[in-house]
Amino acid sequence: MSPAARFRAEGFGGIVQLARPAALVFVDRERARSLGHEGGERWQGDASFPGTRLSAPLEAHLQLTNRCEAGCRGCYTSATPQGLPREDDEARWRENIDALAKAGVFHLALGGGESALLPWLGDVASYARERGIVPNLTTSGLYDEATLERLVGIATRFGQINVSMDGVGPIYEAVRGLDGFARADRALVALRAVHEDIGINAVLTRRSFEDLPALFAHAKRRRVSQIELLRYKPAGRGKKEYEAQRLTDAQAERLLPKVLWLAVRHRLRVRLDCSLVPFIVHHRPSARLLRWLSIYGCAGGDHLVGAKADGSLTPCSFAPTVDAKIKDLGDYWNEAEAFGAFRRWREAEAPCRSCEYLSLCRGGCRAVSLHVTGRLDAPDPECPRVRQHRLTEPQAQPARRRVPLPVLS
Amino acid sequence: MSSGPLAEELLSGLRRRVRRALDGEGILATKLGYNPNSSSLGVDVTFLLFGMSSIALLTPVISLLLRRSKPTPP
Repeated sequence: MSPAARFRAEGFGGIVQLARPAALVFVDRERARSLGHEGGERWQGDASFPGTRLSAPLEAHLQLTNRCEAGCRGCYTSATPQGLPREDDEARWRENIDALAKAGVFHLALGGGESALLPWLGDVASYARERGIVPNLTTSGLYDEATLERLVGIATRFGQINVSMDGVGPIYEAVRGLDGFARADRALVALRAVHEDIGINAVLTRRSFEDLPALFAHAKRRRVSQIELLRYKPAGRGKKEYEAQRLTDAQAERLLPKVLWLAVRHRLRVRLDCSLVPFIVHHRPSARLLRWLSIYGCAGGDHLVGAKADGSLTPCSFAPTVDAKIKDLGDYWNEAEAFGAFRRWREAEAPCRSCEYLSLCRGGCRAVSLHVTGRLDAPDPECPRVRQHRLTEPQAQPARRRVPLPVLS
Repeated sequence: MSSGPLAEELLSGLRRRVRRALDGEGILATKLGYNPNSSSLGVDVTFLLFGMSSIALLTPVISLLLRRSKPTPP
């Protein structure tokens, strides 16, 4: 018999957290009742799915530190060896995790900077487990042997660990601006030796896109459990080279068939990040299927929240901070104007407002919109449908004005 | 006194629950795996390969796992 699953009541019914295989299952009220759960006050009102918004995020993205010695040229947090002046310490992060547990958050994604540099990373991961939250980790592998050894020793405390690897050999260097492939690969091998659920995170650039077959082949050789592909974001040091690095429009349109073909060829699980959803819906998959598989676009301030290294709350890691700390999430979450434009996607302008995928895609990536158009609530300017709309209605052409994202440095 | 209507009601309820358990009725959505990426929300798109058949493939498995994870009475 499996251990009893964690359950969080929602208006529509609730969410059951399964451990193995890892999954969150959204069930209606009747199904929840049949599993022995009750919804209390949350079952008093509207039972529609997915409803207006969740009672709390599903996951929180915590930048435990902004320290990192690698100096990658596209780093979205502009991480430095010194980190931020007033980063939360271990005790503060435990308090933050208490607040997330109280809210009902299921998963953490821990990152940085480079969180593996923190001697207390394992203790924080264990604490999250004690509070019923599954910690997950992204790491660069760009550190010394002692740090890697320490990380290997605590690896099993995490649900999934992904190593950042944007390409194989020279492609890695072309994306990151430093020759770190061998060290990243060393971390991948060492972690995979002690943990089944090790994967690769790869940022897509116009150069690395063409080399994806080599990356998938390498992932297969290393017996990783998944590849997660991420859109290049115009944030931190990544802003400078955004135009040169981002996928071309043609590549964006080829993305989904290409990665699905590679998934079949190499028998690998593939994850695409929320900002890539406009390029998924371009192929017009069934909206019902996307919803059933929880494939959503911008879920900032709804399915996820983020926190900077000083505990400041954000709707997502690329967005400006809001006027609250992550420890105050419970109070902030229900404020009428909480997370601003991130929650106003229903008020989208053309062409998003007439798009059948709006409730899934939610207008695309807010960070890209802000950088390119100067507005957080503008339709994602790189969405194929939005581009087409601009061609047919030239007055809708967004000014390609660069507005810097407020990034702590 | 006849127990017919009561038995029929119980049987009907039982049939409904078995059917729900097997066909995945009441499962509104799933989110598979963990997202370790701390910068954005990654979702598993592998099942898009199977189109709508994914739902038919996954629901019996998830139904079974849900039943196995049901809390046992103290």
